[in-house]
Amino acid sequence: MRSEKLKGNLDLLLLSVLASGPGHGYSIITRLRDRSAGAFDLPEGTVYPALHRLEQAGLLDSNWEVVAGRRRRIYRLNLAGERSLAEEAREWRSFSGSVSMVLGGST
Amino acid sequence: MTSGASEPIEDYLDRLLLTLPGSPRQVRHTLAEVQEHLHDATAEGMAAGLAQHDAEIAAVRRIGPSYAITGRSPGFPRPNAALLRRTALAGSLVGGVALVAYGISAAISWVLAVVRGGTFVTAPFPPGSYTRADCARWLSGDPSATNCVAAMTADHVGDIVLQGFTAGFFGLLALLAFWTLRARWQDRGTLTALPVGSAEAAGAILALLVMVAGLGSGLDMEIVRRGQGAGQPLSIAVAALCAAAFFAVRLRRAVRTRAT
Repeated sequence: MRSEKLKGNLDLLLLSVLASGPGHGYSIITRLRDRSAGAFDLPEGTVYPALHRLEQAGLLDSNWEVVAGRRRRIYRLNLAGERSLAEEAREWRSFSGSVSMVLGGST
Repeated sequence: MTSGASEPIEDYLDRLLLTLPGSPRQVRHTLAEVQEHLHDATAEGMAAGLAQHDAEIAAVRRIGPSYAITGRSPGFPRPNAALLRRTALAGSLVGGVALVAYGISAAISWVLAVVRGGTFVTAPFPPGSYTRADCARWLSGDPSATNCVAAMTADHVGDIVLQGFTAGFFGLLALLAFWTLRARWQDRGTLTALPVGSAEAAGAILALLVMVAGLGSGLDMEIVRRGQGAGQPLSIAVAALCAAAFFAVRLRRAVRTRAT
């Protein structure tokens, strides 16, 4: 997928990945790639400013933990993030359904 | 470790440190996150059969340019102490060598003036463009001169040598400053603030341009003005060639060190 299109929906995708459980940056990227069957393969560094932005917006919480002897910053979806995810997911489904209907009528 | 050998992750983190916005704590946290990320990606690459160095290169490639993490345009890096230090080192090296080369050209001009005469080094002013008082002043400065033109060219050669040696002296001071500061500023942040060999490449290109200009000017005077004044530009061309060779050797060494 084109990276610009992906970046426009990155917040929603990250919230969705974290809805399945907390994780550090690398694991979030791995889960995003796995769940998209490799389709969402953007420069991995772009995920970090998005995670920081979501945390500043109050949708994620983070704390530092020692995991397998290494200090990791673990991100978690909080209640505000869950609400935002539900809202954005509903909007996305509505939007993509409408686009699909238009595309379906043109073929 | 502070050697010049390539360390992809360390070099990437150095570049990132120089451009990360935010408070010191935010910068430290982001650096730590990215470092862990790169180590995870390296481990994944090594598990897939890559050598560690290749796995580090692949990890850096996958994470993307540092401005993807900082959100800053790559064209507008934040001025910082490391970049200023690296620029000062590059400037003192290129400027020092240029001034020393100018001093060497003055020495060559002086030798040429002795061997082929002052008019080969500097063309005399055309008749009518100077006064009797000028002649008297030149002759008083060089009582051994047999005529006004000889005294004039001797005076001009003296000026060239004096200017060149003064420039060479300041060039040596600049190079002394370069080597002193280079020994003091060994941190990788400073060493990687500019691309490896950039100062040497810029110096070599500049020296080659000066050499071509000097050679062209000297040959033109040799042909059009029967050699009058050809000596100085030819001296500059020779000195510039020496400077270009110096920079080329340093550039080759820097690139080879980087590749190992």
